Amino acid sequence: MLRSELLKITTTTAPKIALGVGAGGLILTQLMSVSVLPALASGRMGAVPAELRDAIPSLDLVTSSGQLAALSPLGASGGSGSLGIAVIAIVLMGVLAGTSDYRFGGIVSSFLAQPNRVRVLLAKAGATGVAGLVTGALFAVVSTATLLGTLWFLGIPVAIDPIVIAAVLSRSLLAIACLTIVGLAVGILARSQLAGVLIMLGVLLLELVVQSITQLIVGGMPVWAQLLPLALTNTVIGTGESELPLPAAVAALLGLTVVALALAATALRRRDV
Amino acid sequence: MTKTDTVPIRARHLSKSYPSGAAVTDVSFTVASGRVLGLLGPNGAGKTTTIRMLLGLVAPDSGDALITDRPYSALGRPLQTIGTMLDAGGLHPGRTGRQHLLIAAAQAKVPAGRVDDVLTEVDMTQAADRSIAGYSLGMRQRVALAAALVASPNILVLDEPANGLDPAGMHWLRQRIRAFADAGGAVLLSSHVLSDVQQIADDIVVMQAGRVVADTPLADVLHEQGGDLERFYLELTNAPSGVR
Repeated sequence: MLRSELLKITTTTAPKIALGVGAGGLILTQLMSVSVLPALASGRMGAVPAELRDAIPSLDLVTSSGQLAALSPLGASGGSGSLGIAVIAIVLMGVLAGTSDYRFGGIVSSFLAQPNRVRVLLAKAGATGVAGLVTGALFAVVSTATLLGTLWFLGIPVAIDPIVIAAVLSRSLLAIACLTIVGLAVGILARSQLAGVLIMLGVLLLELVVQSITQLIVGGMPVWAQLLPLALTNTVIGTGESELPLPAAVAALLGLTVVALALAATALRRRDV
Repeated sequence: MTKTDTVPIRARHLSKSYPSGAAVTDVSFTVASGRVLGLLGPNGAGKTTTIRMLLGLVAPDSGDALITDRPYSALGRPLQTIGTMLDAGGLHPGRTGRQHLLIAAAQAKVPAGRVDDVLTEVDMTQAADRSIAGYSLGMRQRVALAAALVASPNILVLDEPANGLDPAGMHWLRQRIRAFADAGGAVLLSSHVLSDVQQIADDIVVMQAGRVVADTPLADVLHEQGGDLERFYLELTNAPSGVR
């Protein structure tokens, strides 16, 4: 079943479009956040008056924390308080993987080939996870190349240990695969492409709103707010600051993925098709 | 393909209700090896629900839906036992016919090389690498039939397979189904086209309002009705004249 589900993903254009849009958006985001803004702020590019340079929101690429923030495959600005196009592309890819079978009737042939619907779901999750890993790898290449190219252009030495870079990129692959699978589960639950996309975007946007309001009210991020999907993803990637321990974040993200899949499995088993 | 002692398809007292009312009530029939059974009935008679219960896609409220004497879910490699053609095959318009069949082959766990064989069988080799979006309805039906045949099953369940086929295509389909049954296969054929059923079916089951109102060898009907299947059908289903 895994092979047929992989074929389903690779023989349709929607996942490729999501991948292309995500990669293109990430390149633009990284060029702006990692290359252009720091270069403008440092005076190495453009003719921004010195008194205005401090007002430019840019990463401090001289520090290891600044370089780490620039390394995120979800986009340097996607780490906190915003929803990057890379994240949108990832969840859309998952949602489309979950809904296209319903839209065109392929779910029937899947159930006829494998009457055990949980196995069908696991095959879909496996295939979607592989698609997420490939996407994560592409995004990781983009973010790493942008960071290293910018550091070379600005003449700034790399301040992050290669082992740390490898760990961040590995965790990024895990986080992106999990997000994609959560998108798949939402797509299966929703069945309709429009409903699935709206639900997923709504959840992510709601998280940003909740986080902003929470920060304003309590002046920080309580633990429950750090357990929301976007915050968890960024904590697992580890390019920003978080009070949640990394092992707990990884466990929580995996748990969220399993819960989403369990809900989808329950729906699949109960539905007549 | 050889005849076996097991009953290829058996519906036994199947019932299914939805919140809107009963869809199928106490439906029983069998399809034997080497026979083509035509499942007839007007829209909403319960044909599709019955077929979906047989295939494990819809859970019956009561009764047994058996394929080779087992529930569909208990079949080891179901696609190698039974090939199906439902909903025009669930074809994704963004794929090519060949890609659709490669997926079907992977689902059935048969070698990808089998795809070329079934493309030849349904005469779609020339158009195999074109997008399904550009296929006519008849071409889609051929690809859907190829997917049903990809694992060389002994049983076929075909829901309105003649939809969109031109006369030559319908002639080809009738021959294909007949040859399949003559080789020992069992075919459950749901169709609105009485003339097609009359030409290839061995037995007919007529459904009306969720119930079986006739289950009989076609030859008996034709003998009693002077060769007029349509009159028999219209009398049973209380359909107005003009229904095919």
